[in-house]
Amino acid sequence: MHKPLAALAVLAIALAHPAPAQDLAAFEKKVSVKTLANGLTVLVCERPEAPVFSFFTHVDVGGDREVPGITGLAHMFEHMAFKGTDRIGTKDYAKEKAALEAVESAYAAYDVERRRSVGRDDGKVAELEKAWKDRIAEADAHVVQNEFGEIVEREGGVGLNAFTNSDETGYFFSFPANRLELWAYLESERYLKPVMREFYKERDVVHEERRMRTESQPIGRLIEQFLAAAFTAHPYGQPVVGWPSDLTTFSASDAAEFHAKYYVPSNMTVAVVGDVKAALVHPLVETYFGRLPKAPKPPPLRTVEPPQKAEREVVIHDAAQPFYVEGYHRPGFDHPDDAVYDVIQDLMSSGRTSRLYRSLVRDKKIAAAAAGFGGFPGVKYPGLFAFFGVPTPGHTPEEIQAAIRAEIERVKTEDVSDAELETVKTRTRANLIRRLDSNQGLAVQLGTYQARSGDWRELFRDVAEIQAVTKADVRRVANEAFVDQNRTVAMIQSTQMAKAPGSGGTR
Amino acid sequence: MTRRATWGVLAVAALVAPALASGQAKDWREIQKPPLAAFTPQQPKRIVLPNGLVIFLQEDHELPLVRGTARIRGGSREEPAAKVGLVGVYGQVWRTGGTKRLTGDQLDDDLEARGARVETGGGLDSTFASWDCLKESFDLVFATWVDLVRNPEFREDKIAVAKNQINTGIARRNDDASQIAGREARRLGYGKDSPYARVAEYASVAAVTRDDLVAWHTASVHPNNLILGVVGDFDSKAMEAALRKALVSWPRGPAAPRLAAAVGEAQPGVYFVPKDDVTQSQIRMVHAGIRRDSPDYFALEVMNEILGGGFSSRLVSSIRSKKGLAYSVGGGVGAAFDHPGLFQLSMGTKSGSTAAAIDALYEEVDNLVRAPATADELARAKDAILNSFVFNFDTKQEVMAERMLYEFYGYPLDFLERYRAGIEKVTTDDVARVARAHVHKDKLALLVVGKAPDFDRPLAGFGPVATLDIAIPEGAPAAQAASGSTPEGRALLAKVAEAMGGRAKLQSVRSVRQKASMRMKTPQGDMSIDAESLLVFPDKQRQQLRTPMGEMTNVVSPEASFVSMPMGTRDMPASQKENALKELRTNPIALAQRADDAAVSVRAAGSEKIGEVEARILELSVEGSDVRWFVDATNGRILRTTSHTMGPAGPAEQTLDYSDWRMVDGVAFAFKRTIKRNGEDAGAIELSEVTINPDVDPKLFEKPR
Repeated sequence: MHKPLAALAVLAIALAHPAPAQDLAAFEKKVSVKTLANGLTVLVCERPEAPVFSFFTHVDVGGDREVPGITGLAHMFEHMAFKGTDRIGTKDYAKEKAALEAVESAYAAYDVERRRSVGRDDGKVAELEKAWKDRIAEADAHVVQNEFGEIVEREGGVGLNAFTNSDETGYFFSFPANRLELWAYLESERYLKPVMREFYKERDVVHEERRMRTESQPIGRLIEQFLAAAFTAHPYGQPVVGWPSDLTTFSASDAAEFHAKYYVPSNMTVAVVGDVKAALVHPLVETYFGRLPKAPKPPPLRTVEPPQKAEREVVIHDAAQPFYVEGYHRPGFDHPDDAVYDVIQDLMSSGRTSRLYRSLVRDKKIAAAAAGFGGFPGVKYPGLFAFFGVPTPGHTPEEIQAAIRAEIERVKTEDVSDAELETVKTRTRANLIRRLDSNQGLAVQLGTYQARSGDWRELFRDVAEIQAVTKADVRRVANEAFVDQNRTVAMIQSTQMAKAPGSGGTR
Repeated sequence: MTRRATWGVLAVAALVAPALASGQAKDWREIQKPPLAAFTPQQPKRIVLPNGLVIFLQEDHELPLVRGTARIRGGSREEPAAKVGLVGVYGQVWRTGGTKRLTGDQLDDDLEARGARVETGGGLDSTFASWDCLKESFDLVFATWVDLVRNPEFREDKIAVAKNQINTGIARRNDDASQIAGREARRLGYGKDSPYARVAEYASVAAVTRDDLVAWHTASVHPNNLILGVVGDFDSKAMEAALRKALVSWPRGPAAPRLAAAVGEAQPGVYFVPKDDVTQSQIRMVHAGIRRDSPDYFALEVMNEILGGGFSSRLVSSIRSKKGLAYSVGGGVGAAFDHPGLFQLSMGTKSGSTAAAIDALYEEVDNLVRAPATADELARAKDAILNSFVFNFDTKQEVMAERMLYEFYGYPLDFLERYRAGIEKVTTDDVARVARAHVHKDKLALLVVGKAPDFDRPLAGFGPVATLDIAIPEGAPAAQAASGSTPEGRALLAKVAEAMGGRAKLQSVRSVRQKASMRMKTPQGDMSIDAESLLVFPDKQRQQLRTPMGEMTNVVSPEASFVSMPMGTRDMPASQKENALKELRTNPIALAQRADDAAVSVRAAGSEKIGEVEARILELSVEGSDVRWFVDATNGRILRTTSHTMGPAGPAEQTLDYSDWRMVDGVAFAFKRTIKRNGEDAGAIELSEVTINPDVDPKLFEKPR
């Protein structure tokens, strides 16, 4: 948790700056938060700009709760949340339910046999596989394809989508303002009565997503290896999309079990922003989301990444062009130094005045882009602060590494200038305002802060805390984090490196 | 309108209230949907200045921001084929190259310190210049924007950065299968040399010069060629006054050349790009599409919705959900405002189901004609478009952007309203008719990027396969650098070299020692310095300075660069070293020695009067260093040089005036030089002694321990 007193003190400092019209006080008047009896948190922000609204459902589970064998399951369930309910997406649910149970039994039998390492009977595997596929065909006969998405889109919904990352799962879309009750129905129903229909086809779809984002992209391949090397114990080392073995093995029953454990109201936050009245939204949410059965919030994750003892390095030799990234372990979002990392990120990476741009892109011309970013792959737990550079033709990962290290060294040994620090702080304040200009953006941000920190006001306090960061903080944190044994390096060494055009080679 | 709005609000209350009272969850089919409250989006104010500038003003007081964007006619489709990439370089360097008054770096510092942004960019048919700032810094940021629009400088060092980034994109363009598929599909759809499909190559980027950027700007950025939209927290009257004051005197210019960029014929057939490091094939099917002003546009929009719009479309339901063949699948007939779009289907599927996926896509193409939209599909598609219609104008910014778009392309300003009416009228017969008219299986080019040995069936089953060569053409470095030169420039450089002692003599110069007395302008007043410099070509220099504050030695070389003072020695900061090495590369002797070197680009760039002499301007560029020489063409003497450098107070435009040329051992030296930075006196140098090829102790360039 944040330190409330310190936060208030710095908030006072921040407010001494020319006060933007959209500050915390302005939002206090528009935002209301309620917790239902079943533990679900609801946030409403009234923004009557146009007769539309957006929402964001935050579920406090991501790849973080996956263990070997079920990696990718949080993301898989996210896909299943679009497959409908016992009343949406089915021609006859009673029959479909029985058919789906038959699919599960058939799959269990097939899965046991095909993965038998000793005495596997291939004939029997084929037979069981056919039986399983036949059951799937029977179950599919009851399906009304994509009816959930069809209702949303037909009723004027836009931006229907969702995401899963290492920390959390989020669902969102926008509706015309007169569909508020329909929204409350649809959004609660998909978590109340999800049906694992077409699960195994969707598992193939997710596997295609893995092939597209990870396997068939050089940087996707590298990042997977980078994280696997950087984390030895914590689930941050696992790919959110899942390992191929798990993606071809886990079952609809596994997904249903995962849902039952983590999709409990005490683990969920819903934010609604737009042309709505809190006085109308809260009772509607009570009526519809109040149906979710009460259950305790899952206990916190046990595993903590142990301190790194030695530098690690991953090198992929690939026909693709070179790429460089290095990461250092850093604490999670709830650590008092979080704001200092934000300042370092901004200083190193924001815009053309940033140090990495000026050194690597502008002056040395060895990179087309270079930046450092905190909170990778997540912020809920201690993660990485990472730096990357995209070499220009003829330049190598080693040159990027040397140049990044020189800039890191500068932050460790020289105070950042007053002007630079002031620019970072001003920019952070201006960018906060820019983040408040859309219903969907606000719903995601307010919802995420409410869920993560227990208070949406942290969105503003985070910026206030950045105002209080000193030069000494920056140096101290850089010296603590950016040390050799805390580092993991990953790079693509190109087997077909592009020559520098115009010079016939490197200068 | 107002009355309807009131009624709408009342209706909401009336219909929702019973639900609250009962607190009963209903089934979705029973949930009432009150009519949407009537909503009249606020329209922007349109102003036309006498010089032809069209302005839209849209007040939006929600946030204390002011944002403006100018869209200017002319884009990459108009750039010459030999210089593809020009607009890309231009769009970047317009901003990064700064203004005549301030370098791009100074702009960066100024704007970032205010949390403000001024950006420029280039696209297919237009370029843009925008700003985004807090209300409180509007005056300053807008003034910067005006300066950038009116007086850009396109400094050479930033051209190098921009080209570097574009070249990086070229080098990497075959790393990602989807990117290859997207690019090659456009080339198959439009013809590979079509301005809508061609891509930048190393050679075409290298061919872009500063003159090209200046010429592009001069030809396109005129008030009568530009639409400016401003949205944010301002009073329209005051804003209008401010804009008029700043922009009304801007003279009208020639109308931008509007070309009808040729759209080539689609190339039906089966095309393959081998890529072995993937597990998924990228598949595209493509042929020509339509323009948005086609009478079939509305029916095609409905057809697109049925075919590939959203979760419940045919492509997603069949290929993704039912068959599990793809994560990403979509498509439809593309419609551009002033040229035909492309009909395109796209998907990614595992290598082992490539042929099955192609079958499935072809089946959907057949189905468009064979099994046209059902009444239910039609209703679903029209509902989706019409019920979400309000999202076309749910922010004030969007309303203005939409108006700017119609203004730009000369569409009726109420096009959005016509769109709604057009969609409402579409029937199943219309959809069937436009599908037959605009979707042609036999004209499709099928493109697959993937790993053929893993395919379920060979592509040959779909027809004769043409393998596309996507190898990236080499940059041909020497030819490239030479292409940046002009024969006139080369001739003038030869003349300068001759005047400096002749090529052979200059080549024999390995080092030069110069003794001089210097006057340096400092904030505390003028400072006198005795200086001795030792230059070893091509890239070493040692300077000993005797100043009132004591002695100082600085050494620059690629190996070691440091400053020694009585207190000790320290390394030169990297930026200072870079700058010094850059200056060495553009030393007149160093450049004259390389007069024939293809890596030195030399361009004649007009003339300018210096004193009584009409000096010819030479632009020289070598390895990222740029300098302009002002030459007396009658005798080949350099009168002046200008370059961008890092002065004591930051980046600056430095001018050196040369006089008192004397010959020393057959080599010419200007014994008097005056220095100006950003137009202000910065000092002077007077040589007292010059030695050619003195003995050089290599230790002099080593860092003392």
